[in-house]
Amino acid sequence: MTVRPKCTLKLSNGMEFEGELIGAPNEVAGELVFTTGMVGYSEALTDPSYYGQILLFTYPLIGNYGIPPLHKDISIEMSHGFESDRVHAKAVIVGIDSAEAFHWSSRQTLDAWLKEQNVPGIAGIDTRQLVHIIREEKTVFGRIMPQGVATSGKASSLISKAEKFFDPAAQEILREVSCKKSFRLGRGNKRIGVVDTGVKWNILRQLIHHGAEIEVLPWDADLSKSDVSAWLLSNGPGDPQKTGDLKNRIAGLLTGHCPILGICLGHQLLALAAGATTSKMSYGHRSHNQPVQLVGTRKGFITSQNHGFMVDQASLPKDWEPWFVNANDQTIEGIRHKSKPFKSVQFHPEAASGPRDTGWIIEQFVKEL
Amino acid sequence: MPLHPQLQQLGCKPKIILLGSGGLTIGQAGEFDYSGTQAVKSLLECGNEVIVINPNIATVQTNPQAGVKVYLYPVEPEWIEKVFALEKPDAIVAGFGGQTALNCLIALEDNGALKRHNVLNLGTPVSTLKMTEDRSLFAKKMKSIGMPIPDSYACETSSQSVTAASAIGYPVIVRAAFALGGLGSGFAANEGELLALVDVALAVSPQVLVEKSLRGWKEVEYEVMRDSQGNTIAICNMENFDPLGIHTGDSIVVCPSQSLSDNEYQMLRNAAIKIIDSCGVIGECNVQYALSPNSLDFVVIEVNARLSRSSALASKASGYPIAYIAAKVVQGFDLLEIQNPVTGVTCAFFEPALDYVTIKVPRWDLGKFKGVSRELGSTMKSVGEIMSIGRSFPEAIQKAVRMITELDAGLATFVRVQLADSDLEKALSEPTDVRFYAVISALRSGWNLERIHGLTHIDKWFLSKLQEVILCENAIKVVFASSDLESVTANQWLSWKRLGFSDAQMAHYFLEAKQKKPDQASINCESGKIRTLRKKYKIVPVVKKIDTTAAEYPAKSNYLYMTYHGSVSDPGLGMGAQSKKTALVLGSGSYRIGTSVEFDWCAVSCSRKLQEESWRSVILNCNPETVSTDYNSSDSLYFDEMSLERVLDVCEFEKIEGVVACMGGQLPNRLALQLCNAGIQLLGHDAETIDTAEDRSKFSALLDKLGIDQPHWIAATSRGQIDSFVEKVGFPVLVRPSYVLSGAAMNVAYDRPSLDLYLSMADLASPDYPVVVTEFLLGAREIELDGVAQHGEILTAIVSEHIENAGVHSGDATIVVPAQKLYVETVRRIRRAGRAIAKGLRLNGPFNIQFLARLNHIQVIECNARAARSFPFVSKVVGLNLADAATSVMIGKTPRLARINDDDLPYVGVKAALFSFTRLSGVDPVLGVEMASTGEVGCIAEDFESAYLLAMESAKVFLPKKGLLVSAGPEHEKLKFLPWAKKLTGMGLPIYATEGTAKFLLDHGVNVIKVAWPGEPANDKNGQDPIELLRTKKVDFVLNIPKNLQRDELTRGSQIRQGATRFGCSIITNMEKMIAYAQAITRHPDFISEHVPRPLPEYK
Repeated sequence: MTVRPKCTLKLSNGMEFEGELIGAPNEVAGELVFTTGMVGYSEALTDPSYYGQILLFTYPLIGNYGIPPLHKDISIEMSHGFESDRVHAKAVIVGIDSAEAFHWSSRQTLDAWLKEQNVPGIAGIDTRQLVHIIREEKTVFGRIMPQGVATSGKASSLISKAEKFFDPAAQEILREVSCKKSFRLGRGNKRIGVVDTGVKWNILRQLIHHGAEIEVLPWDADLSKSDVSAWLLSNGPGDPQKTGDLKNRIAGLLTGHCPILGICLGHQLLALAAGATTSKMSYGHRSHNQPVQLVGTRKGFITSQNHGFMVDQASLPKDWEPWFVNANDQTIEGIRHKSKPFKSVQFHPEAASGPRDTGWIIEQFVKEL
Repeated sequence: MPLHPQLQQLGCKPKIILLGSGGLTIGQAGEFDYSGTQAVKSLLECGNEVIVINPNIATVQTNPQAGVKVYLYPVEPEWIEKVFALEKPDAIVAGFGGQTALNCLIALEDNGALKRHNVLNLGTPVSTLKMTEDRSLFAKKMKSIGMPIPDSYACETSSQSVTAASAIGYPVIVRAAFALGGLGSGFAANEGELLALVDVALAVSPQVLVEKSLRGWKEVEYEVMRDSQGNTIAICNMENFDPLGIHTGDSIVVCPSQSLSDNEYQMLRNAAIKIIDSCGVIGECNVQYALSPNSLDFVVIEVNARLSRSSALASKASGYPIAYIAAKVVQGFDLLEIQNPVTGVTCAFFEPALDYVTIKVPRWDLGKFKGVSRELGSTMKSVGEIMSIGRSFPEAIQKAVRMITELDAGLATFVRVQLADSDLEKALSEPTDVRFYAVISALRSGWNLERIHGLTHIDKWFLSKLQEVILCENAIKVVFASSDLESVTANQWLSWKRLGFSDAQMAHYFLEAKQKKPDQASINCESGKIRTLRKKYKIVPVVKKIDTTAAEYPAKSNYLYMTYHGSVSDPGLGMGAQSKKTALVLGSGSYRIGTSVEFDWCAVSCSRKLQEESWRSVILNCNPETVSTDYNSSDSLYFDEMSLERVLDVCEFEKIEGVVACMGGQLPNRLALQLCNAGIQLLGHDAETIDTAEDRSKFSALLDKLGIDQPHWIAATSRGQIDSFVEKVGFPVLVRPSYVLSGAAMNVAYDRPSLDLYLSMADLASPDYPVVVTEFLLGAREIELDGVAQHGEILTAIVSEHIENAGVHSGDATIVVPAQKLYVETVRRIRRAGRAIAKGLRLNGPFNIQFLARLNHIQVIECNARAARSFPFVSKVVGLNLADAATSVMIGKTPRLARINDDDLPYVGVKAALFSFTRLSGVDPVLGVEMASTGEVGCIAEDFESAYLLAMESAKVFLPKKGLLVSAGPEHEKLKFLPWAKKLTGMGLPIYATEGTAKFLLDHGVNVIKVAWPGEPANDKNGQDPIELLRTKKVDFVLNIPKNLQRDELTRGSQIRQGATRFGCSIITNMEKMIAYAQAITRHPDFISEHVPRPLPEYK
């Protein structure tokens, strides 16, 4: 067994944890978030919504089935382990990463992949303790500091949150995760415009699978100039209120009758465009087991979620109504316009990773065009 | 929650029948007490009246309590219908009583009883149940919803088999139909191999089955729940460590799955939801899959539309109270409106997120059954299980090994016989109860993963984790070889603890490295040093919660485990309770032959009584099939190892006033002295009492001092001592090691050769203790005294009587309360001796004393200074909870007990043992000093005969209707049977008898039909073939008395006994039991139609 270099995790509250370095020997900082999903680590790490964040897996054994080879062909119907072509999380925190992987689909171990992706991580620390800290302090920043690795030199001094931690400034984030030029995929009678604020590949795969042609547009594209018959507002990282004039451009779409489906950040942007407000949640939803209820029914669905902001229910304009609510904390999980074909969900109907119970939302969206 | 509208229509307090699962058998064990008990609670909470029908008197669910009526009756349609007529219930719930309850429900639907009595079935519709039970209906259903199932074709020619194989795709498996022992079965990778196999198979069998080969596929299960609104959740999945082919009850099972990707996990989850949805299941369901190790291919193996053993495991592994919630769902509530009682803030409609790994390991006890095959396959053989929890696989698997071996040194103490490579290969490729240890041996011998995987098909990920443990084991040995304990660094201790090594295990390696004998005393000494050393470095386990949300939400969960993968314990734990004293109750550990639900009943009663008395109750147990490990059986539950090290950890973390070690059976009892030596306060009996009761010579000296007689015995350390003892007392003698429950390695030697054999076995069983040889009395009665004493004074004690003469293990015996046939003087002497022993031992808590009696002369066999197996039976029959009373004593209170006058009970209780012989092919179903039963039932009725018939019926001994086949054994037994043979034939029951018995009975004027012995040609002279009589059901009851209690040779009688088991005949192998039975059926010839059921009265 090779002995790994030691690594320290410093938190913005002053706490320090010592563990082992995995992945690349880089010093990085970012907001700490977690997911309680027990599978799907490669999907999560490549999910652009985690851009700039340090992602903690609460399940202690990560990397058991390795990392599959990257297929860049996103017209493949099934999810295959990647939600974009690279790791978007800034760093990884795990209890134990598997030293070996034997799965038939595995190409390399988590550690090797992180090295290849130039992303550091820390293993061997009390992840459950960290979750308690993140949960109770709401926003926690951290810095991964490999020992024996040349650092910026300020590492040892006490770090104040304001200067040393990467606090997502939203516009820059979307620029980082969005495509630079628009492109088209799939074949179908109807073309759906996808506003790429960091879209997960499985959203694109699902749209194509259900028979749509898609045009993926950069986050700052002029939406009024596109020739599409429906819009999909994608997931993405950051605070929905720090997205420049995107909400205004979306508000422009609301004057028309083109169907819109928003997912996650796209849901929050749609709500903002409609005139509602969003706010930071006291307990974010970061798991594969979130129950949502279809409003007005006794029907529920288990969903995959990753968000720290929510749409404020009281702020919904009168033309809009809640579509889904969270069965645990009653927060808004989806909204729809009372007369026009505009709707959005806070959760991830495309799953990958997580349960696929709400896949019908994307299917229905395409089929109804 | 209030009454659900669906039930409101039935009345303001609907009466709901809950079917239990009956006595415990292999495949249907304690897990159904867990599910039934949760269901009762769940139904009661909503304002229903609950009627429990279950003859398993030792369960928590059959406790009489407000709002619950208990009928200790067989879970058979005719008896359920009698209760229908009497109670006029509104609805029935059958999903919590295993296969027994489901079969019963299906029968009640089919015979129209549900309709006749207007009883509503709550939960999954009967039509769905039938579909999942019927192979072809199930296959049809799965195909209709596009679910792959394993293809199987029956072929009668080789060309048919070739066509079938090409339709299925190679490799295929060939099975010869109707051939015993797997002759002509095997794998074929191509047409050539197929034809070679089929030619052989068709030579011995008219038909072969050609099936898709799933060799080496992963076995994965999902636990799913669906409500009446169609909302469905997958509570968790489980992955078998062993690949497909071994019954999941006999597999090591890991939860959650370890080697499945998100894609695979979600694919199988979706399939499970689709299946349960399209079948219309309401409540809990279990779906089993085989998953290819090389692709996304999978097939559905089985669907169980009920609570199952897996559900109990899933419930404990995930923290989700499956049975409790399922019982809400069958009432009509939807999952969205039910709160998750574990968090108290989230709803029941969610899927638990685990942040730990759990491993279930079965316990087999196959050594207790002579002649049984140790190979594992599609028939379950294990009798119990444990579950370990850790935050790494090595930590969890090492805990699991210690839990199942009950040796603190775990892997270190395996008998490491160096196997030849070829033997090891065989041990790896043929799954048996010891294959796991073969894997460990192979790793120790340096075999690589590829080679072990090739032989076992166990996923390499699992193997690599075991390899990590073995590599560390080697590293520890290297360190110890060259240095002392003091020079081990903090980092080394920590990394070793994180890989799951116990202090005792490391002490063992240390002693070996220093070439010292690793006996118990040295291990205790060195492990104590290790504990002190590492604690100096602050290397102690932390306590984490199982909260179902991986800490995403705050949870008020009290479900805990310990791990070394952590730096702090969860917030809010370990403070004790300022206003309350805290007691730690030790549970039973794994169930096994001799320890079962009855000890869980004791532990649960104790915990609840502590709470009633305003104590804080903490339970430690590692058995997922129990009620004691439910989230609401205690104030805090540690699901962890039952070891000295872990008990000390818990005591140091919690502010424990004292430990209750006398309620969980032999395992905690064995820990008691060690705990006391480690400075832990025991509640109840003090250490000296326990030591004197357990130590044969000390106890014997006490009896001598008290002037109480006992059978002659000797604790011999040499063969010479034994020989001279036997010369003095004569054969037969009882041979057993000390400190043993349930007669493991206990045997009666009738002559010198058998003595030689048993001595070698006793030696193996317990190297640290001398062999005890006891004079064995023939023809004596066996009597037990169960009770509670305080400071040496008996507060209450109940006399019970065995139907069988001494020689049948008390766990297998049929027991009656109040005693029916004892002389008043015998009872008087027993009570007097009991009082003297209580005083002499200074008993202060629960106890059980076993006596022998011949005429009025009594001898003491043993005294258990702890709760006994018979406690729940005796408590419920006399209406006084002995476990409660004992708990009061333990916390220093004097319970005010209703005076029990057992002469004056308005009814009689009979307890009968239940055997699992049908599960264990090759086993001779005969009783002896070794316990062989897996469960028990207890019934009450106005008179002994009725109670006895009910108990026998509950124990699957059904009234003879067609004919009785008798082999009455020795002459004196034949003579005893003679008058009853006359009465039975007089009732019109045909009697068939083997040669000697037939001659004897004919000579004495009883009209019997002579049958041949198995193996003899059936003809006019010899008579008919007995096995044929059994097979064709001309005989439905067998009385077969073995010549003596030796069971080594496969006698002709044994073939009849095995035949009876195989063809589902009732069988009795003991003459006292048979005479009681004959007496009962002659007194009540129309028992089933005439008997009016009565419920169990409440405790006084």
